[in-house]
Amino acid sequence: MGRRAFIGLVVGGTAGTLLTPIPWKLTDDASIWSQNWPWIPRVPNGDFELKPSLSKLDNSGVGVNVVTVKGRPCAVYGNPEHPLSRGGISSLAVNEAELLYSPSRVQSPLKREGDSLIPISWDDAKALLAEKLKAAGSDVACVSGDDTGSGTDVFSAFVAAAGSKLCFYMPAEQVDAGRAWQRLGGQGMVGYDIENADMVLAIGADIFESWGTHVRNAQAFNKANPMGGEQAMRVVYASPIKNRGAAVADAWVPVLPGSEAALALGIAYHLIQGGATSGGPGFEAFRSAVRSGYSPEKVQQATGLTPEQVADLAKRLASAKRPLVIAGSSFGQGGGQNAVAAGLALNLLLGRLNKAGGIYALPEAPAVVQGSMPRRQILANDFVDYMLKVGAEQTKAPAVLLAYEANPAYALPQTELMAQALDKVGFLVSFSSFMDETAAMADLVLPTPLVMERTEDMYTPYGSGWVNYTVATPVIAPVFDAVPAADVLLQVASGLGHNLGFESFEDVVKAKAEALNAMGGFAAGAKAEPWKVRVGGGAPSSSGVSDAVQAGKAWVSMATVNASGLSLAKAAAGQAAAPAGGEFPLVLAPLFELNVGSSKVAIPPHNVSTIRDTEAANGHFFVRMNSATASKYGTGQGKQVTIASKTGSIKARVSIDEGVMDGVVAAPLGFGHTAWDKFAQNKGDNVSKVLTVASEPGVAAPFWAGSMVKIA
Amino acid sequence: MAKAIDQALWPEGVERCSLTKFLLWLVVPALLMLWGLVAAGVVFWYGLGMTGLNNYFAFGLYITFDLAVIALGAGAFFTGLLRYILKIEALVPIVNLTVIVGFFCYSGAMLILTMELGQPLRSWFGFWHPNVHSMLTEVIFCISVYLSVLIIEYIPLVFEQKQLNKVPFLHHLAHNMHVVMPLFAGIGAFLSTFHQGSLGGMYGVMFARPFAYREGFFIWPWTFFLFVLSAVASGPCFTVLICTAIEKISGKRMVEYRVKSLMGKIAGTMLCIYLFFKFLDTWAWIDSILPAAGNSFDQMFNGLVYGKWLMFTELIVCGVIPAIMLVIPSVRKRESMLIIASLLNCVGVSLNRYIITVQALAVPVMPFDSWQVYVPAWTEWAPSFMVLAYGVIVISLSYRYLPVFPQERKLNYK
Amino acid sequence: MSVQREFHTKWGMVIDLDKCTGCGACMVACQVENNIAPTPDASDMTRVLTWMLVYKLENKQKFPNYDVAYLPRPCMQCENPSCVPVCPVVATTKDEEGGIVSQIYPRCIGCRYCMAACPYHVRYFNWFDPQWPAGMEKTLTPFSSTRPRGVVEKCHFCHHRFMAAKEKARATGGEPMKLAEDAYIPACVEACPTGALIFGNLKDPTHQVAKLSHSKNAKRLLERLGGKPQVYYMSKRQWVLDMLDNDLGDGSHGGVTGGGNHG
Repeated sequence: MGRRAFIGLVVGGTAGTLLTPIPWKLTDDASIWSQNWPWIPRVPNGDFELKPSLSKLDNSGVGVNVVTVKGRPCAVYGNPEHPLSRGGISSLAVNEAELLYSPSRVQSPLKREGDSLIPISWDDAKALLAEKLKAAGSDVACVSGDDTGSGTDVFSAFVAAAGSKLCFYMPAEQVDAGRAWQRLGGQGMVGYDIENADMVLAIGADIFESWGTHVRNAQAFNKANPMGGEQAMRVVYASPIKNRGAAVADAWVPVLPGSEAALALGIAYHLIQGGATSGGPGFEAFRSAVRSGYSPEKVQQATGLTPEQVADLAKRLASAKRPLVIAGSSFGQGGGQNAVAAGLALNLLLGRLNKAGGIYALPEAPAVVQGSMPRRQILANDFVDYMLKVGAEQTKAPAVLLAYEANPAYALPQTELMAQALDKVGFLVSFSSFMDETAAMADLVLPTPLVMERTEDMYTPYGSGWVNYTVATPVIAPVFDAVPAADVLLQVASGLGHNLGFESFEDVVKAKAEALNAMGGFAAGAKAEPWKVRVGGGAPSSSGVSDAVQAGKAWVSMATVNASGLSLAKAAAGQAAAPAGGEFPLVLAPLFELNVGSSKVAIPPHNVSTIRDTEAANGHFFVRMNSATASKYGTGQGKQVTIASKTGSIKARVSIDEGVMDGVVAAPLGFGHTAWDKFAQNKGDNVSKVLTVASEPGVAAPFWAGSMVKIA
Repeated sequence: MAKAIDQALWPEGVERCSLTKFLLWLVVPALLMLWGLVAAGVVFWYGLGMTGLNNYFAFGLYITFDLAVIALGAGAFFTGLLRYILKIEALVPIVNLTVIVGFFCYSGAMLILTMELGQPLRSWFGFWHPNVHSMLTEVIFCISVYLSVLIIEYIPLVFEQKQLNKVPFLHHLAHNMHVVMPLFAGIGAFLSTFHQGSLGGMYGVMFARPFAYREGFFIWPWTFFLFVLSAVASGPCFTVLICTAIEKISGKRMVEYRVKSLMGKIAGTMLCIYLFFKFLDTWAWIDSILPAAGNSFDQMFNGLVYGKWLMFTELIVCGVIPAIMLVIPSVRKRESMLIIASLLNCVGVSLNRYIITVQALAVPVMPFDSWQVYVPAWTEWAPSFMVLAYGVIVISLSYRYLPVFPQERKLNYK
Repeated sequence: MSVQREFHTKWGMVIDLDKCTGCGACMVACQVENNIAPTPDASDMTRVLTWMLVYKLENKQKFPNYDVAYLPRPCMQCENPSCVPVCPVVATTKDEEGGIVSQIYPRCIGCRYCMAACPYHVRYFNWFDPQWPAGMEKTLTPFSSTRPRGVVEKCHFCHHRFMAAKEKARATGGEPMKLAEDAYIPACVEACPTGALIFGNLKDPTHQVAKLSHSKNAKRLLERLGGKPQVYYMSKRQWVLDMLDNDLGDGSHGGVTGGGNHG
């Protein structure tokens, strides 16, 4: 072939190819390929359905609608028909579907062997559990992170059947509140009718983020503050840091953590001076205790607020038509009983008992599981106190500890000491959906399905102004080899010869629904709103609990219990006192922000991007203090510090935040996870380590709000 | 001296170094190219996440480098314009070099542009789904077409290679192409003017970026014209620098000094014109655009990295000073001064492209937004060096085998 | 010449900065709804994908006069978008009734010019291929296709919900182009526990947003730049409103820059 022929071939070939569809097809295909690479997952086709469920990742108790496509959950929305959601949802609960496939999920039962956990079958797991429980006899304890579900009833009944009284709740706001309510002589549980209040004074309690039914609280605020419309509710936040709730409140009152009771009783002082009385038992004792222990001067020392500021709060309350005081810990735990009791006392002084926009005494859930411990009995046990004694070897560690939806190895104060105490437990069993810190150190890990994968119920979460009951039925079969904890326990119980009266948890829930019928109530919805019914508006016809909850609705009852036993006699314990300085001069204000998880759930994958780089970055997290405090202690923006208390220390960097009170270090909880997954790990330190347990004045129960620290 | 084995390929009547020496000379650029190819591979394989770019700095070193080499490559079209259209015959000795420089600048920029695209497989969408409102569409059109023009301008030079030119077909082709070259020079000048302008216009139209936004004439913001002027003011200087580099390295003279001096004079004149408008533009920016956006001049600068010294260096040290040096004949006539002025001029235009690319994005626009600092990653440096190395290779090969400098024989071999 | 067009329906948002607690529910709801892959580390926020992002605004006073506000930032869906005219390949448009700025992923070549043009940082680039933890891809929603690396993406007011609402209106005999106020709302608006975000047709006087957008307490972000966002912010706090635009301090330098003179 000659050169000409060759050139002709090449040129002709090129021209010829260009005339065929080949290059154009390839070019066109390139755009399709570049959109559809096989390693990028496709989204499902098909119509979606909404199935009602429930989120228990936080305390809000929101009913949710699960978006499913071909039966597969892919998102959750707040259920607009559910009175605790009204369509709203927390930054944690909104992850519920994605968490089904969290990298942290426990995928099968695991047994400890040396330093590692190895997968075993459910049969072997149950046999091992039965064997250990049998050997332990009555030397068994349980701790539950859930106080609204019947699952805890099964656990308490089991422990009781074994002959033990050691059933505990994990420390939480509602635990302290329940005890405070009892201390004042209250029956049942206290409810707050936030929707009907025209002024809410939140003392400590972070009502839009962590306290009680926070989504519902936020919705109440939302509806009473329509954009551009008439304001029907004012909110005043008293907290050590201008936190998220304080950012939208009508006023913010800085108050030291741990001095919430002093502020409430300081307000009570002014109200009493103005002639307020509860008209009920114990008032005289209360008045003299307030006058002697909570004079404006003492309150100023304890809270840092001037008498005028406190008097102004009293005036605002007195001049409101339907004021409501909500007191609690600013980080949802460890605040003790005094703050809640003092807040309740204010409501009584303001005449807010059983009044629209006030507080109500709500009945407890009926007991259905044979031998289950009533709530008040569990409240009488204190897990922190117990573990401290175990740690100090004043009490023998239990042979078996059952941890149900609880992560004590991470979430208890003085975490490191508590972990050592947990280590002393003979056989630690973790019933958990996730490989959390407790599961990681357990001897047996039994995976529980997420709420979306099981039957679960919820009775009147703390804060709700009315009785409510919601049942979730499985939206999807467990995606991993998980079995509901209560079912496991019921089976093991019958093997051990304990009769708890039920074969399955589903039957427990059915029985509970039946038992609740006696209270009389209705299925809540957009046209049957409990807060409207509370003030006499359009009472819907009553309906059976089963029908309501089967339809995925919240069943609501206006039932109350007798509150005549309430007395103010014990509402003002102790004396207002300034924080003890000395070696640890700074007050620690932990922050509970739900986007970084709760005591049960670590930072979910999709929440990582909600963390600002001024909150956590490059492995470390930030504690916040104002510039005056920072310069006083020789630190500043971005500087590395060690925050130390009597019981531990954490490493952090400093972020200057002028919304923090003088002499206070604010530090977010939820960081410093050592178990879980790459989304939760390598982010800062666990503030619980430096929380220091003290004895609450006048109560002598564990108390760790107002922990004192230093910058080391 | 032994005969080099590739001597038959050298241009008529000139001496070149031995092939070994030549190949050794190419080792460093070849390694740099390799490094750049590795970086390109990393970016194509893993994605642009391997660079230092981010959502604040959507543009960075890639774009800065592209803009800079395209501005410096402007010597090609501008000299072509002067030579073929305005018939300034004095530029004939250097016009081949300007074409080669333009060719490597543009083809190198195209290479980087492909890396810069998140979806390189879709780069042809600019032609298939063009948005006539976008300055970038204009850029894509003009650069691609102009690169073809540059290839057409380069081809006759290749065909004039001693051996190739013996093929009658190629010989005639090259000859005929020379005849129609003014047409291509005209097209090239037109295309090049437009895309230089469009590149500037890209920034000027960003009305929500007070640092970059400019009003303008008809549909073109002032940056359109400023980019054209600054490119023609620096392009000739870049050619002079490369020519001088070839001379220093080969130890021979390639063009008469008066050619270089003329290039310097042209550049200096254009730089003066450019600076006049640039100062006017800066004044109008400070006086009208910034206040209308609610911003002050001071807000446009921050710290050391984005301090005012950048603008001062660009406009005074690398603007006014070289302009003065280039327009004063006595200064220009001293080679060292010409080189210093040319260097400053080229640095100035590169700095200008950097500032308008990176600083424009670093300035926070929302009052509660913050300054961010952009640090290019090695994956961005390497391809930039790769293009420079590629330029060295293209020029070296061209110089060795093609009759680039018509005056070389006359000036060196009597 | 600008590419600005008028529409009968102009979807818009009003965000009450006095009601936003910055809890982040909107951000997470958005990610879940629109299939944004999670990131294990958000230390470098300039690389993280957040169509909805909550900024923290501070009044720069010291304790106790300090004040804080949270500003959720979706795409502003500007009437006169700075991003649309610059796109060389028509991968982003504002040509559909409703006035939502679209992003066509299969068309995008990833030049990022739109990102440079937008001062709100609402446009995000896929620096890497998206990665879900093993199994989590099973929870992808059918609403928004996944994006490969190398393309730009952004908030589109949950456009799929607009489509669904129109379809529902057609099926039930309603008027798809005259949707009721609650017929179509984006996921972020729906999730917000304090109701800080409301949504509707800025041109329909029966919709709240139409009224509120004219409130004296309402202002748009960077109004002076002439983008004419369809998102309004409200606050009764003057310092918060002042934070929404650049101002030389004395307020005397009013006026709006030109905007979009090419094409």
